[in-house]
Amino acid sequence: MNQYQEKLSAFLDGELSETETRAIEKALESDAELQAELETLMAADRVAKDEFAAILGEPVPFELAKAIQDAPEDIVANDPGAPRKGTGWLTAVAAVIALAIGGSGGYWAGLTQGNEVVAAPGWLQDIADYHTVYAAQKRHLVEVPASERDHIQTWLTNTVGADVRVPDLTAQGLEFQGARLLVAAGKPVAQLMYLDANERVVALCQIQTETPRDGFAEQSIQNFGMVSWGGENSNFVVVGDEGRSDLAEIAQAAATQV
Amino acid sequence: MAVGRASPAYPEPSCALAPFIPLLSLGVLIIGDVTCEDCMLTDFKRDMIAVLPRLRRFARSLTRSVPEADDLVQEACLRALSKSHQWDPAQPLDRWLFRITRNLWISEIRKRKVRLGEGHIPAEESAELITTETGESRVAFSQLQGKIAALPSDLASVLLVVSVEGYSYAEAAELLDIPIGTVMSRIHRARKTLAQKIADPVGGVQ
Repeated sequence: MNQYQEKLSAFLDGELSETETRAIEKALESDAELQAELETLMAADRVAKDEFAAILGEPVPFELAKAIQDAPEDIVANDPGAPRKGTGWLTAVAAVIALAIGGSGGYWAGLTQGNEVVAAPGWLQDIADYHTVYAAQKRHLVEVPASERDHIQTWLTNTVGADVRVPDLTAQGLEFQGARLLVAAGKPVAQLMYLDANERVVALCQIQTETPRDGFAEQSIQNFGMVSWGGENSNFVVVGDEGRSDLAEIAQAAATQV
Repeated sequence: MAVGRASPAYPEPSCALAPFIPLLSLGVLIIGDVTCEDCMLTDFKRDMIAVLPRLRRFARSLTRSVPEADDLVQEACLRALSKSHQWDPAQPLDRWLFRITRNLWISEIRKRKVRLGEGHIPAEESAELITTETGESRVAFSQLQGKIAALPSDLASVLLVVSVEGYSYAEAAELLDIPIGTVMSRIHRARKTLAQKIADPVGGVQ
């Protein structure tokens, strides 16, 4: 048994020490058997990702969401502001539908199999829709908090299918709050949330594409200002209140770091 | 399309969601500003619903059965709702729900073993139990589709959590309540088992 074979999975997962990682990298340069083993494990990993991703595409049973909606909630200590009027059962229905559509759009299996799904122009409209919902959040602005930056980058990179990095926008007066995973135009989207000093939300969203757009573009959708651009293997957009005059500057700063 | 526009012609809601089930199956998107006083949805519940696809997938890796996974998820969500004051908002909701789900499943496995007269078992062994080839588990096997069906629960859940969900080994160890060394060995075994299944789709996996 090759001394490194047992550690190849940990190598793949970035869980080895730097010394061990270098040793395996060096061994891989000249050890054809080890290379073949690594490729075998990577192929197995791709299959696992594809098949597990396909499960996400299955519609969530309506009864399950309904049971959650109807269940009593111990809200006293957790969420003094809740329940919140205006997010009624239609929102629950929409959430379930969005989940179902997100998966059934064919993306989840397609991406990991290498089948390109071009980032549809409609993704910005979806982003605006999401921003309407999430920018109003206070306690639940993000799914994963900023304290887990490394996990966010790993998680979203694996899910979105493109390298996701969290840019430091403190020079633009923005503090990173954390991230969410969205589905827009049938594809997963990384949404990085920032707050400015006035607690206004600015989101940086990233969608994987083989055909990133050229240059920067500014536009307004649903009273939100947007500056979009293309980067390596991805399209990006910065979203904020329409009245903001610094979105282009924020986008430029982000573009140099993502 | 993730969230759609209001439908002005939409009828006044009555809390009876049944008429809209066909809309769900058709993928029709409806959202509005209409508020039903009896069915208000809290942020917590909405965030919980957003996690449901991943929670169901995690439960599937544990139970290997679609109906059992959904029952488990529902029980976990209701448990979480009843204990939401215990949730630290600084902690990711998904991780908290995953852990509740996992603990409930271990508890269920222990109950089954006791019912089968096999006595109490330690938690670290619980995950192995559903990999035994009882008649019941064979039925469950048939409901997990694809090559990952070749993976026993203990391997499938680790592979899902690390490779797909992106958790570190340390995070996976905490989430699944197993030693980090076990995470490392299980994920390797999972990939090896899957690779064997890929190489020999019709053959059995040891």
